[in-house]
This record gives sequence, structure tokens and C-alpha cells, in this order.
Amino acid sequence: MRRELIDELLAVLGPAGVIHEPARLLAYECDGLALLRQRPAVVLLPRSTEECARAMRILHRERLPVVGRGAGTGLSGGATPVEGCALVGFARMRDVLEVNAAERYARVQAGVVNIDLTLAAEKHGLFYAPDPSSQAACTIGGNVGENSGGPHCFKHGATTRHILGLVIVRDDGSILDLSLPSADPLGYDLVGLFVGSEGMFGLATEITVRLVPVPQVTETLLAIFTDLDSACDAVSDAIAARLEPSALEILDRLTIQAVEASVFAAGYPKQADAVLLVEAEGSEVEVEATLAPLRAIAHKRGAIDIRRARSAAERKQLWAGRKGAFGAMGRIAPDLYVADVVVPRTKLRELVAAATRIANDKQVKLANVFHAGDGNLHPNISYDRRDADEVRRVLEASDEIVRCVVAAGGSLSGEHGIGLEKQEFMSLVFSDGDLRAMCDVRRAWDPDGRLNPGKLIPVHVCREMRGTERPR
Amino acid sequence: MRPLEVVDYAKSLDCIHCGLCLRTCPTYQLTGAEPSSPRGRIYLMRAVAEGQLAATDPQYLQELDFCLACRHCESVCPAGVRFGEMIETARAGRERTQPRGFLARTARRIGFGTLLRSRVWLSLAASAMRFAQVSGAARLLGRLGRPLVEMPTVPAKAERAPLPSSTPAVGTRRGEVAMLEGCAMRELYGRVNRATVEVLTRIGFETKVPSGHVCCGALHAHNGELAGARELARSTIEHFERCGAGPIVVNSAGCGAHMKAYAHLLRDDAAWRERADRFSARVNDFSEFVAAELPMDVQGALGRELGTLAYDDPCHLCHGQQVRSQPRSLLDRTGAARVELPDSESCCGSAGIYSMLRPDDSKAIFEKKAAALRSCGADTLVTANPGCHMQWEAGLAREGVKARVLHVAEVVAAALRQARP
Repeated sequence: MRRELIDELLAVLGPAGVIHEPARLLAYECDGLALLRQRPAVVLLPRSTEECARAMRILHRERLPVVGRGAGTGLSGGATPVEGCALVGFARMRDVLEVNAAERYARVQAGVVNIDLTLAAEKHGLFYAPDPSSQAACTIGGNVGENSGGPHCFKHGATTRHILGLVIVRDDGSILDLSLPSADPLGYDLVGLFVGSEGMFGLATEITVRLVPVPQVTETLLAIFTDLDSACDAVSDAIAARLEPSALEILDRLTIQAVEASVFAAGYPKQADAVLLVEAEGSEVEVEATLAPLRAIAHKRGAIDIRRARSAAERKQLWAGRKGAFGAMGRIAPDLYVADVVVPRTKLRELVAAATRIANDKQVKLANVFHAGDGNLHPNISYDRRDADEVRRVLEASDEIVRCVVAAGGSLSGEHGIGLEKQEFMSLVFSDGDLRAMCDVRRAWDPDGRLNPGKLIPVHVCREMRGTERPR
Repeated sequence: MRPLEVVDYAKSLDCIHCGLCLRTCPTYQLTGAEPSSPRGRIYLMRAVAEGQLAATDPQYLQELDFCLACRHCESVCPAGVRFGEMIETARAGRERTQPRGFLARTARRIGFGTLLRSRVWLSLAASAMRFAQVSGAARLLGRLGRPLVEMPTVPAKAERAPLPSSTPAVGTRRGEVAMLEGCAMRELYGRVNRATVEVLTRIGFETKVPSGHVCCGALHAHNGELAGARELARSTIEHFERCGAGPIVVNSAGCGAHMKAYAHLLRDDAAWRERADRFSARVNDFSEFVAAELPMDVQGALGRELGTLAYDDPCHLCHGQQVRSQPRSLLDRTGAARVELPDSESCCGSAGIYSMLRPDDSKAIFEKKAAALRSCGADTLVTANPGCHMQWEAGLAREGVKARVLHVAEVVAAALRQARP
């Protein structure tokens, strides 16, 4: 990058806000999807909306591509830099601006870590419901970009249901303030449109989120199964029985072993082939009304033991194990490909089995840990990126899993987004016409296609769009 | 030098890039910069090993220096990355590939090669430091004298006297322990050493101190002087083998963590590795040992004297040795009122000699700790490591917070004194 341009950015953001040294830039070449890497031209770390806007105006004048980044924990390559881009990170925008307990909302800067928001709300007897497994690291801004989920989204819904307002820095550096005093959108619901736009509509810098009251009672159960199929069936039964616990999670044997070997060892029995982690919340009566039939279902489906967390500490431990599962897989191989698909909840057993079969065919190591209640599977494939043949087999396996799931009526992504990872699969579920409609919306936000270019929309549709646009 | 020899490539592959370490890392908290995080540093180390980045790249070296080696990241790493060992290896690699300037080299030679190896020199240096502080000469030294001006005053010579080589048990003798007198502890916090002996002997343990021992080599290892660290490890093992085979009690968290890891340090030396294993099995932190051996609760009347206590976990005690409950339970058993210090497992910025090498970063990191202490309203801050002790004393004075700083051993000794007049 030109020295004068760096100096100009330094004048706006200060020395702590501009990273341009090649060695330091290297650390930004990938997010949680380490398979895809590209060094950015510069990394900008603004401290405020105004700083971000001023920097964006410079980038707009220079016609530079811009990629946003929260904590770099995303798994679909949403924050993978594109060639020559300015990567705008939010790791210095970490202020909780306001917690309004009476009105049940909080206003935060985009770089606030998910768990820090929850800790800030907890003091007021409230919490922020979407809790991705990476919540100890990921940012609210990143959650907005990807419309992230998490175990408790089974009951509470994904990020989009919890965002009340946004302040957005647009592609040209103008500031769009969509923070409204009421929860009901006025006019076009631009906030709803923006959530999940994967950094292609603008950069959210301040976010107003809905907070919900901490439930009177929370109960956590761990049902232990001797086979994965039965655990899946138990979840299908629970859904069919119209039960609504707040979370229904399954971990398989390989995952249990990795977790139990880690600092997050939760006391999952190492000999079990699957555990089902269940949480219910509400009044004592409501919780019991959910858990009693769930226990019966688990027993009917062959659970050999059902344990109950006896204290908040035990509950925390059970969840820490679940949430550390991705990282714990580092014990199995240097890299992990976390697939993310949604299956019809009546077909959990057969599609989990299909994923296992595909992994076996491709001779890759598969572990399953997933949001079973939502039908959101995460087939985790361990590999070593230095082994080109293994990488090829991993990609083939994930390709087949996605196709198999879509063929069975499922969806491409539950919570990780499309990014670079799944863009070509978009054509499996959308026609070119559908995708063109998405492109139209995108162009309204970002006419030059500078924001996170080359993500989400399949390449052939993009090309087509570019060929036909701007007859002016 | 081949890149693989300057970083621990195999360990870098354990990192799966999940990012759970980011929020706990003090330097990432300070800067929000990925290369200043554990995940980022590991990424750079791996790039060095794979030939993508020169081992001499100044920015890479800068990130190695910036790290406090607090090992907080290890406590939250689901993949079990041993970052402490990695940063030691990378820093040793740095010393071999990138010669430092004349001044730095000389200072390191004096510090690691002379002072930390000889009680005579160390003691002279302590006297000289005290003189510079008390006479005001330190102020005249400008930038060089700044660390001296800012650190607590080195105690007078009498305070720095050696511990007796053996102190008999008080009352019924229950056994015998060896104790690490330490390099810095003796010169800066002799009172903590005396309190340690007092507690150990009062609970029935004859306490031996190996004569002629100076330093365990922890500071060497943390700062890339692995050859010196190995030499001092072997010498430490020999010294303590001469004191029998009983428990070794260490009242400095950094030293204890390091002494428990001698087997890793000496892994390439088959004969020493076994000796190191046996040695490390004997090492206990003060709290670990006393919490297990204290015969009964010692409900003293400490309240009036100490007020409310807050315990700050030294990094190398909680992250390095997984000792968390013992110091708290000991303090509670003295009957003192205690509150939890928010974020007690985060680094105070002392980090061995870091506070002297990077005073501005060290102070910036401390600010949060001072705020935490203010918020919990404790009158006395309790720690278990001389570096942290100094950082807290200097930091609280600077921030104008009126609170005492004590070592766990001092609190327990005071309680025992009151309980058994």
C-alpha cells in the first residue's frame, strides 16, 4: 500500500488503528476457516463510528475493497481478506454504551464480545440470548454480519430476532443511523435486511440489542446414550411431542473424548457414544412440564443414564465443555473443518448416518456436535492443511454432505453464513433469478461492489451481473 | 539457522485457530491487534517454521517481546496449546538469530550471567539500588533510573539477611521441608521469607534452606536464556537433593511453576530428566503445602489489623500450577474477611522483568487491576509472588489507592501468631 495513503489513514486512526507491517498483516490472513488465506493490504482498527466513517471515506475515494472483521472466529470465510483489501477490524470498539434494564435493551459497539454483553446484562437480571459456541471470543458485530445462532437459539431464535437497531457506516463513509426508540421497524425494515448480510451492505458500528429476563429456573440434563442414532431419535421425538426446552445439543463419542481431554472437561462419560445436553427454563412448573416428558422420551430411546446439573457451577461446566468442543478438536489434528447444515428434524438419524457414511468413504475423521433441536448439524472434519490429498478429500466430503442434506429437504447453513465456503452451493437452493434479486439489493447498498466482494453470491451470477450492469 | 530450530513447530500445530484465547490476553486487550494475541503469535511462529516469515523480522520479534508470558491463554485453550513453552522456545530462538545491541547485551550479561548467579553480586546490586533510591541518585539517572524511582524501596541490609540453614519445628515435630529462599524474594521481601519459615515451623516442620543457592532460572527461561536456565536448573536440583528428599516449599509463584517444569527444560538430557522428574514431584507452592498441612483453623482477630482482604491470583500460580482454591481457603481459615477481586486471574503487568523492560505497557495493563481493587473495596491485597507484590505496591502508590499488599504467608503467619500467643 502507498505510503501516503497509510499516512493519511494513520492521521485518522492513530498508530494503534493502522496495521500495515507485512509480518503483522500475516496474522489476519484467515478467520476461523484456516483453509482459505489471503493477506490484506492494510488492517484498520477504528475506535469509534466517526473514525470508521472517516477511514471509509478515504477507502471509497481510493476505490479499495473493504472486508469487515469482528474477532475472526467465523467459519465460512466471511472475514477472509480479498486481494488488496483494507480489513476493518472492530477489536478496539469494545464499549458497552448503555444497558437500559427498564426498557430491556443494550447499546454496544460492534466489537463487544458476546459474553461481555451477557455479563453486563446479568447484573440487571437480564441476558442476551444468542450464544454461539464461540461466545467467549466472537463479537456482536460479527454476530450481526453472520446472523449467528447458538445452542439457546432453539428457543430464543438467532441474532436477527434480537437486534433492535444499528448504526451503519456505508460504503462511501456516510453514517446511517437505524437506532429507533421502538422495537417495531418503521418503513422498510433495513435492520432486518442488514442482519446476515455478511459485511456486503456496510459496516455495523453500534448495535442495539434486545435483552431478555434471566429465567426463574434453569435446569440442565445430560442424557447418556450408547449409540448416536438413539440420541437423534430422542430429539426427533421431543420435537414431534411439541416440547420446547431452551437447548437440545448432541455430542458424539469422538467429541466427548476431545472435550474430556481438555481444560473444559465437563464430566461427559468417555465410554458413551453420544450425550444429549438438554436445558429448560421458565417457572418451576414450566420446567418440570418440559423435562418430565423429555426424560421419558430419553429413557424410551434407550438412555442409560440421565444426570441433572445440581448447581450453577455444574451447569456452567456442562456448557463450557460443549462450547469448547470446536477448539478441543485441535487435539485430534491441526485443522478442523466445521460444516454447518440444517436438516429436517424428522430425518436427524438418517442424515447424521449419511454424513458418517460419506466421511468413511472419503477416509476423513468425522466428529459430530450439533444443535439437534434446530436440526443444525455440525459434522466436524479433522485434517491437516499440509496434506493436499487430505484437504481434497475433506472438501469432497463436505460437498457431498451438503448435497445430500439439500436433497433431503435441508438447508446450506444454520448459523455460520455462506461466505467463501458455500457460495457455489447457493445455486443448489436458489435459481439465478433469486440470486439476481439478492444482487439487486446488494447493489442498492454497495453500487461499486467494494464491500466484501466475491462472497455469498456464486461467481457466475456475479459475473453475469457485472456484465449487464451500468449501461449509463 | 533453520527455521524449525527457532520455534516449536509441533506445538504450533496444536492451535486450531478458534480464538477463545483472545479475550484473556492482556496485550490483545490493550491493542485489539491480532498479532498481539496468542492465536496471532502462534500464527507467526508457524509462519516462521514454514519459511513464510523471517525469524529475524523485527515486527515478529516485537510481538514476542510484547507478550507477558502470563499463560492465561493456556487456561482457556480447549486444544491444550502449551503457549508458555512455545514463547520460551521462540524467545530463545530470537536470542540466537538476532543479536541485540551492545547495551542490551551487556545488561543481559550482567543480569542473567552475573547478578542472578552470585549472591555476593546480587546483594551488592540490591545495596546499590537502595542507595540510589534513598539518596535520590536514581532521579538523576534519567530514563535509566526510572525503574528504580518507580519501584518500592529496596529494604535495608538487615532485612535482606540470609535465612538460617535450618530452623527447628515449634512444638511437636511433624517433618522436615526444604524451602526456596529465592533471588529477588530475599533481596526485596525478606519479610515474606521469614513469614514463610514462621508458618512452616509453627505447623511442625523443620525448615531447611540449601546454602549457597541463588536462583532457579525462571527469569532466564522466560527471557530466552535457555542455556543459562538449564545450568541453573541442574544446580538447583543438586542443591535441593542435598537437603534430603522431603517436600520443597516455594513462596514465589513464578519460581514454583518453573521448578515444576524442569523435566521439560531438561528433556534432551536423559539422566537429568529423571532427576528433574523426581525433583519436580517434591515442589509445592506455599499455599498448596500449608493448606494441606495446617492442622486446624486459626481464627485470629485479623479484621481490625488488615480489614477486608482480596486475593489476586499470580498468573504462574493459577495458570502455571492450577493452584486457585488453596490460597483462598487458607485466607478464609484465618478468619479474615475476604472479597473476590474481579478478574483476579488476569495479569497485573509485572511478568518477571517485563515491568522494567516495558514500563509503559506494564502500567497500562495494571490500570485495570487497580480499578478492580477499587471496585471491590478491599483494604489489603494479597498475592503470592514477589514480582506481583512489587507491581501492586508501586502501582497502588502511583494510582493513589490506599491498600496494603501482603503475601499469603504473611497473613497466615500473623494469624498463627495471634492464635498461639
